[in-house]
Amino acid sequence: MRRRGTTVGGGVGNLALRGVSKRFGSTAVLDDVSLEIGAGEFLVVLGPSGCGKSTLLRAIAGLETIDAGEIEIDGARVDHLPPGKRGVAMVFQGYALYPHMTVRGNIAFGLKNIGTERAEIDRRISAVARMLEIEHLLERLPAALSGGQRQRVAIGRAIVKEPKVFMFDEPLSNLDAALRSRTRQEIANLHRRIRKAMIFVTHDQTEAMTLADRIVVMNQQRIEQVGTPLQVYRQPATIFVATFIGSPAMNILPVTRASGSGTLQWVRLADGTQIETTACEASLPEQGALRLGLRPESVRLCALGDGQTKAVVDFVEFLGDKTHVFLSLAGGDHLVVLDGASCQVRAGESVGVMFDRAATHLFDAEGRNRRLPG
Amino acid sequence: MTARTASAAAGAGRHRALPALLAVASLAMAAPLLWTLLLSLKPNGELLRSTRSAFSPPYTLQNYTDILGHSAVFAWLLNSTIVSLAVTLGVLALSSLAGYGFARLRFPGRGVIFIVVLFGLAIPEQSVIIARHQMFSALNLHNTYRGLIFPGLAAPFGVFLMTQYFRATPQELEEAAALDGASRFKIFWRILLPLSLPAQATLGIFTFLSTWNDYWWPLISATDSDMYTLTVGVASSQMNFAQTNGLGFLMAQAVFASVPILIVYVIFQRYIVAGVSRAAA
Amino acid sequence: MPRAVIAGCRAKAVASHGQTAATSTRRAWSASRSEARSGLLFVAPYLIVFTVLLIYPLFSGIWLSLHKADLFGGSQFIGAQNYARLFRDPVFLTAVRNTLYFVLLTVPPLTLIGLGLALALNNRSRWSTLLRGLFFSSSVLSVTIVTLIWRMVLIPDGGLIANLLTAIGRSPVAFLSDAHLALPAIAMTTIWWCIGLPMMLFLAALQQVPQDLYEAATLDNAGWWRTLASVTLPSIRRTALVVVIIELILQFQLFGQAQIMTLGGPNNASLPMVLFIYQVGFQRWDIGYAAAASEILFGIILVAAMTQYFAARGREPR
Repeated sequence: MRRRGTTVGGGVGNLALRGVSKRFGSTAVLDDVSLEIGAGEFLVVLGPSGCGKSTLLRAIAGLETIDAGEIEIDGARVDHLPPGKRGVAMVFQGYALYPHMTVRGNIAFGLKNIGTERAEIDRRISAVARMLEIEHLLERLPAALSGGQRQRVAIGRAIVKEPKVFMFDEPLSNLDAALRSRTRQEIANLHRRIRKAMIFVTHDQTEAMTLADRIVVMNQQRIEQVGTPLQVYRQPATIFVATFIGSPAMNILPVTRASGSGTLQWVRLADGTQIETTACEASLPEQGALRLGLRPESVRLCALGDGQTKAVVDFVEFLGDKTHVFLSLAGGDHLVVLDGASCQVRAGESVGVMFDRAATHLFDAEGRNRRLPG
Repeated sequence: MTARTASAAAGAGRHRALPALLAVASLAMAAPLLWTLLLSLKPNGELLRSTRSAFSPPYTLQNYTDILGHSAVFAWLLNSTIVSLAVTLGVLALSSLAGYGFARLRFPGRGVIFIVVLFGLAIPEQSVIIARHQMFSALNLHNTYRGLIFPGLAAPFGVFLMTQYFRATPQELEEAAALDGASRFKIFWRILLPLSLPAQATLGIFTFLSTWNDYWWPLISATDSDMYTLTVGVASSQMNFAQTNGLGFLMAQAVFASVPILIVYVIFQRYIVAGVSRAAA
Repeated sequence: MPRAVIAGCRAKAVASHGQTAATSTRRAWSASRSEARSGLLFVAPYLIVFTVLLIYPLFSGIWLSLHKADLFGGSQFIGAQNYARLFRDPVFLTAVRNTLYFVLLTVPPLTLIGLGLALALNNRSRWSTLLRGLFFSSSVLSVTIVTLIWRMVLIPDGGLIANLLTAIGRSPVAFLSDAHLALPAIAMTTIWWCIGLPMMLFLAALQQVPQDLYEAATLDNAGWWRTLASVTLPSIRRTALVVVIIELILQFQLFGQAQIMTLGGPNNASLPMVLFIYQVGFQRWDIGYAAAASEILFGIILVAAMTQYFAARGREPR
């Protein structure tokens, strides 16, 4: 079920990667990556540091060579072309504005290099400056701009080249929290306006969930799952995806097989509780450890005698609009439960626990989610 | 606690004896300079009798006006200026180009070649000067500007400096320029070179100073007196010292020869200090 | 002065060379053949000059040292005879001794006085800025100007020191013509000339010492000397090493001061090795012999610098 080596289409291909691999010495930095991006799609590549997402972006841009595979843009192979000729534009993490040129000079540089006429350059700069509200900054040097302004200039520099694909390399990580959410919205607006394919690399799952049409979750140089935000959240393909997306992270509990019949499979927790899951009995491997996944919101607290099992409260975090309750079950398992604002449990109390059967996930020894069909 | 009070309070700053020692040192430092200045402002005849007269007025600018009429010094000045400027420009050009190549472009043997250039830094002048002299004799390059300019271009210091500087430039800028369709030379010419002006200034000033003050090579290569650089010329004046009675004139020459280099020093002080600081770090 | 900084980069460069070998994963885009071609084009102009004017003369010099040049311009291969002759040559041996003595006379004072000045002038006051400028200004003057200035300080007949001595009733001292005083006098001139660079290097190092170390020492009630010994000096250890190596390399190559002020006299009492090479090579035109002497000097400098480097590294706690 590992989504490796298969392409998941999002529509008519605008950008396609097939079997792209890159090694550095004996280490793989990209391992057999395949992907297709539809025209006008907003794709987010999400993953922890070192997973290969930035390398992937740079390989598409041509800033890294690839050792195997093909990259196509609009049906034409580009992996042999230099970066300037691929029709892509990139907004770098540090913006990479030329410090000795004015904002206008920065934006115009790319167009000048390909011989665009002066009048056309001026026209495009005016249009972009108006769109991004940076007209009053055109004659300034980058050093005289704030972080948010620099980013808009970097975006403007990308837009003006009228590329086929836009790429963003962790553009929000240099901004402070308030600016980050505002810029997120601006980028979403931008996408709505110019309707071009955008690839956005980040390690922040909030950015991914809020901006993406589809998310590509990467880990250890491979793609773990590609899907819409909802798909990735509700139907994580692997334990990595399940625990990476969602905060607080999904609870993962080791379980053993209990009885099963047809489409229902019962599993047993360490403290003996039996829980129903919707994994198909036949699809489970004979041997190997199983792990149960339950999001904090899929576990509910109730009165001590009413639950499927009971637990002791270790710790409570009141956040105002919600509460995180940290529980210990008999048998040594720990759980985090997401409860509402009116939760009133205290540390040391014993409570009852109920599990939402429909929201359970079952992961095999390799981390694959057995709950999903196919 | 400001940095000043912290350091003053704790050992990097004031000790009681310091001002006194400092005064002595400053006096020892300034005295020879002042003495030279005073001597230069006295007529030669008076000094012949006794130099003690330099301590008291009257002073005169006669020696300086004599210099202005002494054409040789100007010829020396011209030679020094031409040679120093040429070497400086040459070193800046060669070092920047090579620095970019070593820092950013991969070619076979790059690592090894760079180490060899680095070891060039360790080669002292006397190890090459004899052979160079032979070589230039064979090529008839002595007593020419080319003969004075070429050796200075080989110094590895500039390449080392520019390579380190280009290496430290964020790679993102070059990548952005590559995505903007710039060729490698254009990236060098339009992006990296303008950004390297501080390093260029430091390298330029060091090269200019060391070329201007160079003694041994011009001494053995520019043996005709009309090819003398200012540095060699001042030495030749000194050598003739015993034959001349022009002590005041001689000292005025010393002052006159110091002025250009001191002016350059004052103007470019910032870059000299920056360069030395970087070397210390 | 600038040559000193250049010389100093040797210590730095060899130490930091490790970074050239380590390549990063962020490779620049390239079709590697075109990149290789461009790369070679960029470095070629310098490399040509480097090879012709530095590498070739270096090896040519070694080759020359194995020959005897005769009066008619020809030369004859004699192997290591020049070297053997040097080791038996009392003038050369005197020159070696003189050079070592000179280095001992100049390098420790330059280091210590440079450090002292840096400590004293490490603040923002107007006086300090002025004095820093004063102490550094001598370094930008050429050796010929410096020797001219100092000759007029040192000569017994009308020199500055002579005038001061007679003013207090003593008789003038003939520094430059006294076999015991000539080299020390040149050393004093040299210290006056070269003090700027060590001072600057130490100043830069002092400014890098984190302020909170000093604040912690104050809280620990450390007095002036204790702070100096326990906080300041350990922090600038590396710079001190650099200063010593730079000055070592520089002062081993003493030439101009001796050539102009004393001509190596009286009776070779102030003859340094480079002056020996100059006299043998460019006055007597015994090229091979001079070349051999220059190679020996190169070897001595290398050994001295390396010894200092490894000795200091060995003592440093890792």
